[in-house]
Amino acid sequence: MRLLTHNMLSSNIKGVTNGFPLRIEAEKVVEKQVDLNIDFLKNMFAKIEWRALVSAARTMGYSELPEEVEPSKLDSEEFLQKFHHALLELHLEEGALVCPETGRRFPVSKGIPNMLLHEDEV
Amino acid sequence: MSSTGLNYVSPAAAATVFPHRSCLGLARANIVVGAARSRTKRAFELRAVAETTGMEAVELKKGIAEFYDESSEVWEDLWGDHMHHGFYDPKADDVSVSDHRAAQIRMIEEVLRFAEKKPIGEDKKVVDVGCGIGGSSRYLASKYGANCRGITLSPVQAQRANALAAAQGLANKASFQVADALAQPFPDGQFDLVWSMESGEHMPDKAKFVDELVRVAAPGATIIIVTWCHRDLDASEPSLKPDEKKLLDKICNAFYLPAWCSTADYLKLLESYSLEDIKADDWSKYVAPFWPAVIRSALTFKGLFSLFRTGTKTIKGALAMPLMIQGFKKDLIKFSIITCRKPE
Repeated sequence: MRLLTHNMLSSNIKGVTNGFPLRIEAEKVVEKQVDLNIDFLKNMFAKIEWRALVSAARTMGYSELPEEVEPSKLDSEEFLQKFHHALLELHLEEGALVCPETGRRFPVSKGIPNMLLHEDEV
Repeated sequence: MSSTGLNYVSPAAAATVFPHRSCLGLARANIVVGAARSRTKRAFELRAVAETTGMEAVELKKGIAEFYDESSEVWEDLWGDHMHHGFYDPKADDVSVSDHRAAQIRMIEEVLRFAEKKPIGEDKKVVDVGCGIGGSSRYLASKYGANCRGITLSPVQAQRANALAAAQGLANKASFQVADALAQPFPDGQFDLVWSMESGEHMPDKAKFVDELVRVAAPGATIIIVTWCHRDLDASEPSLKPDEKKLLDKICNAFYLPAWCSTADYLKLLESYSLEDIKADDWSKYVAPFWPAVIRSALTFKGLFSLFRTGTKTIKGALAMPLMIQGFKKDLIKFSIITCRKPE
């Protein structure tokens, strides 16, 4: 699971008011190289939750992302490389996504999150 | 029989070759309903958990996951990576296998055209609800540069979908998760296009299904549902006729489907939200060649061999295919497209 996906997932357990972002428990992180696409990155930047990406990347062992991003940064090749790396090249292979309110763990196995809720959570 | 022990037999001959079991494909299947229905039949209640021919919702979800876990590979072998109907010219007579794959692609394009969503903008966010092995998502990602998240109950399918996306260089545009369409793991208003291609028929609670589709749609988003429905009921009819229900029950049991609803039922649900441009169409005539073609491919050497290697769930599904043809011919089963837009 890439952090691009993590940035779009939330816990919708009954009674939870804010299930985003899910905390990451990283057991196995793998890096997979992906070609840089600047237009894609610029498009995605507007659509993602930056803070969530920064803290998620940190739990995955990558702390190079700045906390704040001024618009001019989007023209910096150096910044885009870091953004690209965090968003697309870090994979959570084994671990869990944890609901920030209830602590409920959604397992991630072979890179695939299992977000199925139990009957009493719906 | 040939020396390999396996030989294609015509459907008529099969009855003599395998006298102790129903002819694979064309005889009336004798499918035993596992658990007896406890509830008396009544008109379909949209807001209650639908009757599931004896299966509770938990059992149904497990059944769906296992059905697709088991049969995904066979299907992919015979039909490729789109697990939906092909769109054919109504006058088309003799369609070949290569036509079918093109027809499945054409289905996606025709759906987008009907929904007035062609072309999808680059990097638009799409959710593929009931994504199978990701055929639609990967097509939309590859052709239009869309960013697709797919959800499926089947871990095997999610795995396969991610693997195919990676192999096709689309892994950063399409990713697949195990999740429930009735409890989508996304915050509100995430997606520009909400896509449900032939998964609605698996949803035991149509109201919750529609509610989730609407919830995850962003302002201005398009919602597309392509699904099997039963015919609309007349104002005077409280429910389908007994023989109609009987046919649908048999299909339900084999394909892990809960009770069916009509296109009108979906429209009624959508109308209860403030959505724009709600429209629907009956595309049954455009998909007519599909089931006969699937049956023919199942009965080929390759098809039979593949089927024998799978389990009972897939075989049960295969046996139910002629029932789908029956349903379409009786004008009982409809292949419907329903689209609408969330206001800005």
